[in-house]
Amino acid sequence: MAPALKKDPAARAGRFRNSNLAQAWLVLVLAMGFGTALAAVQVNLSGVIAANQRNETLEKIPELVLGPRAATAKATTGSAIKTTSGTIAVQQAGKPKTYTVYRTTQEGRPVGWVIKAGGQGYADKIELLLGLDPSAETITGLFILEQKETPGLGNNIIQPNWRNQFIGKQTVTALKVSKGQSSEPNAIDAITGATISSRAVTTIVNRTMGALRKPLMLSKVPFTERQE
Amino acid sequence: MDYLLDIFLISISAALINNFVLYYFVGICPFISVSRQVDMAVGMGSAVTFVMTIAVLISWSITTLVLMPGAPLTTWVAGFFMAPDGAGGIDLTILSYIVYIFAIASSVQLVEMYVRKFYPPLYKSFGVFLPLITTNCAILFACLTVMSHIIGVENPADAWDLGRALALGIFGGCGFTIAIVIMAGIREELELCDIPEPFKGAAITLIVGGILAMAFMGFTGVDSGIRNALMGN
Amino acid sequence: MNDNPTPLERFIQGVLPENPVYRQLLGLCPTLAVTNNVKSALTMATAVGAVLLSANIIISLIRNLLRPHLRIVVFTLTIAAFVTIVDRVLAAYMYSMSKTLGPYIPLIIVNCIIICRCEVVAARQPVTAAAADAVGQAAGFGLALISIAVIRELLGAGTLAGLQVMPAAWPRWVIMVLPPGAFLTFGLLLALVNWITALRRNKQGQEG
Repeated sequence: MAPALKKDPAARAGRFRNSNLAQAWLVLVLAMGFGTALAAVQVNLSGVIAANQRNETLEKIPELVLGPRAATAKATTGSAIKTTSGTIAVQQAGKPKTYTVYRTTQEGRPVGWVIKAGGQGYADKIELLLGLDPSAETITGLFILEQKETPGLGNNIIQPNWRNQFIGKQTVTALKVSKGQSSEPNAIDAITGATISSRAVTTIVNRTMGALRKPLMLSKVPFTERQE
Repeated sequence: MDYLLDIFLISISAALINNFVLYYFVGICPFISVSRQVDMAVGMGSAVTFVMTIAVLISWSITTLVLMPGAPLTTWVAGFFMAPDGAGGIDLTILSYIVYIFAIASSVQLVEMYVRKFYPPLYKSFGVFLPLITTNCAILFACLTVMSHIIGVENPADAWDLGRALALGIFGGCGFTIAIVIMAGIREELELCDIPEPFKGAAITLIVGGILAMAFMGFTGVDSGIRNALMGN
Repeated sequence: MNDNPTPLERFIQGVLPENPVYRQLLGLCPTLAVTNNVKSALTMATAVGAVLLSANIIISLIRNLLRPHLRIVVFTLTIAAFVTIVDRVLAAYMYSMSKTLGPYIPLIIVNCIIICRCEVVAARQPVTAAAADAVGQAAGFGLALISIAVIRELLGAGTLAGLQVMPAAWPRWVIMVLPPGAFLTFGLLLALVNWITALRRNKQGQEG
């Protein structure tokens, strides 16, 4: 009696293994199970991930137009900074190019512009955020979003003390990179041993200002709001 | 002209500057185990290049046509079941990894069957490595790189087309071949040396690989230098 | 070694004697790629552990129903699905770490450790044994990653998990956080492990 009962589940498993139809059903059931799990993950998490991507840029913006200390002060005292994201299309070197631009206002008054720009660095592409005052005359901040420069050398473009050189620079003339201290108003001191990375960032800033200075100074800026 | 420059820069970047083995650390397992002799290394490298090209072709096509948000095939099929504006927003990217790994596994099977049937001498030289390639990180890495240049881009006009994807596939495989053949050449010489017991095998290969990686670091910045020189930035 | 180790024995085996990185030389791609700082190494080890445990449990549950021909397909499907879930969870709750680890999380799919353990253990053993093996191998993997990451981050950046440990005057060995540093550190550590193993084997041989 006992041996016959013992054979049954093993025999059933063996038949299952040998039947093509049963195997096909197994794979199908597994695929549907995993598909449902993935769909659940997608539905629940895709919103969170998209918000993460947006906030990565958006949370930097108050600091870029107001400066670090002023941004925290305003956050605690006054009303919130409202950021609208949009695009400005220009012609650059004969080709149309669209820049992502963020317009910041506080209680309806314009507070500044933040432009996302990118270009070739020493090792790979550099992406940065450039903060300007409402009249686009002065640079109010610079933040490096993405870079793959040499650690210890070109990597130092992310350091605040190097980036803060850009704050207060006038946009009317192009910025120049100098090795060592220079007294000229539009000079940027290069990082020791990382002239190319320093030059890359300065070139990106100059190119962006060259393209966007005129449009940003118009009384009606050609700013197309982006529907999120 | 611009396009050719871009293809050229992608190619040398994948092959030399950002070498898959020595910079991105993918394909290390065959790099250590198959690099004993130069002819085996050449065989492995050719197999990887071959499969990488086909895998990139398949994954680029599936990503652009089916997986990415607003993909043509998905929108067309969904158009039968739902309103057009809803159909355009279907995003199947969560299935990317599963689709890629099965695409790689099937392309390896197909390539093996095809080569064994129609090109027996070719099969003799690299056919035995083909089943090992399914779990080779380098192939999946190439597909993921192509995917990141299609799905994550802000400006849809910057998404990679088939030419750029194939350039990455072919020359990424070439870079892998270069690295593994150099390593095989060095190891053939090392056979004649008196290596301390703990270092024999994988450890000395890794140390030699480190020195090779240092040498390849000399290529950094070449692509941006060429781009700046030719574009006059 | 008895034929059927208990789950506890399997766990202990996975940590040092059958360490997936130092003894089996599996899963080397993330070992070299994400060990330039301790935080990334820990996150990668946890991710691999999560996928390994889930895959082992599922495969072990259906092990009797699977025909040998189909097992690779089912392994791949299971592992790829769990890796996708882990990747999305990481992107949702640890976004900056997810960007740092980049393509190396999806590369867990082709990580030899997971496929190897599924094939060798999960397809043949009941759930508890498979789970214990998974936890042991994951612990061993984490140990290996952290050993390399500690050296690379300490020498290369002077920090440990972001906290400054070395004095400010320490000239950072930048090469340690770059690719050559990975190869060299791992090569030297592997030689060290080989040497220790040979010493213990000699000692056991002399005593036995």
